[in-house]
Amino acid sequence: MFLAHVSSLQASIFSLLAIFSLLLAFVMLGSHWLRNYVYAFAAESWLIAALSAAVAYFGGYKELYVIAVLTALFRGLVLPYLLMGIVRKLNVKREIHAVLQPASSLVIGALLVMFAFVIANHMNFQTGIAGQVVVLALTIMLSMKLLGFLMLAVRDEAVSQILGLLVLENGIFLGSQILVPGMPMLIEIVILFDLLIIVACFGMLIRYLLVHAGTTSSRQLNRLVG
Amino acid sequence: MLNDIVLQILQVLAVLLLAPLLQGFILKAEERVQRSTGPSLFQPYRDLWKLFHKQPIVPESASWVYFAAPIVAFTAMLIVPILIPVLTDRPLPISDMADMLGGGMVLTLGSFAIMLAGLDSGNVYGGIGSSRSAMLGILAEPILILVLVGISLLAKAMLPFVVNHTLLDKPSVYWSPTHVFLVLAFFSLLLVETDRLPIHSSTHIEIYMIDEARILEYSGPLFAILKWASMMKQFILYTIFCNVFLLPWAMAQRGTALGEVGSVLSLLLKFLVVAISIVVVETIQSRLRFYRYQEPLAAGFLFAVLAIVSSQLI
Repeated sequence: MFLAHVSSLQASIFSLLAIFSLLLAFVMLGSHWLRNYVYAFAAESWLIAALSAAVAYFGGYKELYVIAVLTALFRGLVLPYLLMGIVRKLNVKREIHAVLQPASSLVIGALLVMFAFVIANHMNFQTGIAGQVVVLALTIMLSMKLLGFLMLAVRDEAVSQILGLLVLENGIFLGSQILVPGMPMLIEIVILFDLLIIVACFGMLIRYLLVHAGTTSSRQLNRLVG
Repeated sequence: MLNDIVLQILQVLAVLLLAPLLQGFILKAEERVQRSTGPSLFQPYRDLWKLFHKQPIVPESASWVYFAAPIVAFTAMLIVPILIPVLTDRPLPISDMADMLGGGMVLTLGSFAIMLAGLDSGNVYGGIGSSRSAMLGILAEPILILVLVGISLLAKAMLPFVVNHTLLDKPSVYWSPTHVFLVLAFFSLLLVETDRLPIHSSTHIEIYMIDEARILEYSGPLFAILKWASMMKQFILYTIFCNVFLLPWAMAQRGTALGEVGSVLSLLLKFLVVAISIVVVETIQSRLRFYRYQEPLAAGFLFAVLAIVSSQLI
């Protein structure tokens, strides 16, 4: 396994990149503005691309360079561009009826991170630097998934729900880059195109909602119409 | 070689004499960002000089607390520089008489005394200021405790000098996620504790004032002492942030006179960096509503919790 040979400098580079992408998930959780969500998502994707490139460089996986470029291109540019297009079409600039205020969702997010850490710590069987990086990667992967779920649960706007899904997916992708860097490239490309399809579908759904229901907030949509 | 005791006195004197300069620089820089000239760098010294020569006016309802509080606050700020590395990173003779929790307690004692003074005279604004600062204290104190726990988990010690040396000697600790989170948590604490935006307003005498409201009844020398104490608190927190957390480099190691002058200069340079980042925050941030005060503090709490979680990895 590639992680068995990391030095302490490589370990700290990996952990810094991973931790900053976790921080950006918290930026999304702590903000009200849809525009900020998209910017934070783009920045997070660029960090994950940098992480892929770092793994490629230190681990000697040539195909990961391609993955890094594709990640930066698709997740860092195309998806945010499409999302910004959707945000611009909507008349909604911010979440108005949040179930949880930003401060309380941040504190709940911190608790979720602790929970993820406890789980990751139980799964660890190695010792030394490699073990630490594994635990960190698992913690961040799990906590980004949980934060994505939290965003899906407490946000009403359709755009924030797409972004919740994307954060969840970013978490899995980040974990896979560190833990199993030798994944076949075809799978990664399939995942990337899946994401494009998700965003495109949501874009159509949002247009449909705007035309037929006049709103994109899921809070307004639980009324039965017939 | 300077004597260690002389050095310890010099540390206190440096905090005492340079604190108004820091305040003057921040005020000047904020005005310069807004393209106006701003007051002179030495204006806080002139203000203090003026206040010391004014006649004190004491409210009729004031008790002994009114007179004791400024002295307690000022003395507390004189004690803390003994405990932290200001000019030199060698442990000085009585620098181990209290650890970081003890230093934090002495700092909090100063603001506690001012809070009592605000309540003492029975003025409405004093009461409002004291209750607001008590609320902020309740929100900020857990972060301070968690930051101290985090830094002692990181360095395996509770003495600021040891933390400084650990960060100097081990780059892997310096660049570890724990340390990054601790710096961020302490920065949010720094904004709250030194009366800066987004919680405290930048123009001081107005309806949302917090720290100014507590000392509204003071005038003359006692007012000067209180202002000086708050400037020293700012200087001390900046020193802790720079020398213990963010920039542990460039401090005198051997204790020669030249080295001490050099570390004063490097301290001023470090403060320049931190003060400019504070000015950026103050320029781009607007003041938060009263019911959103917990947001920056929740972010700080989050950073501190994350620091402790990630410190378990190392």
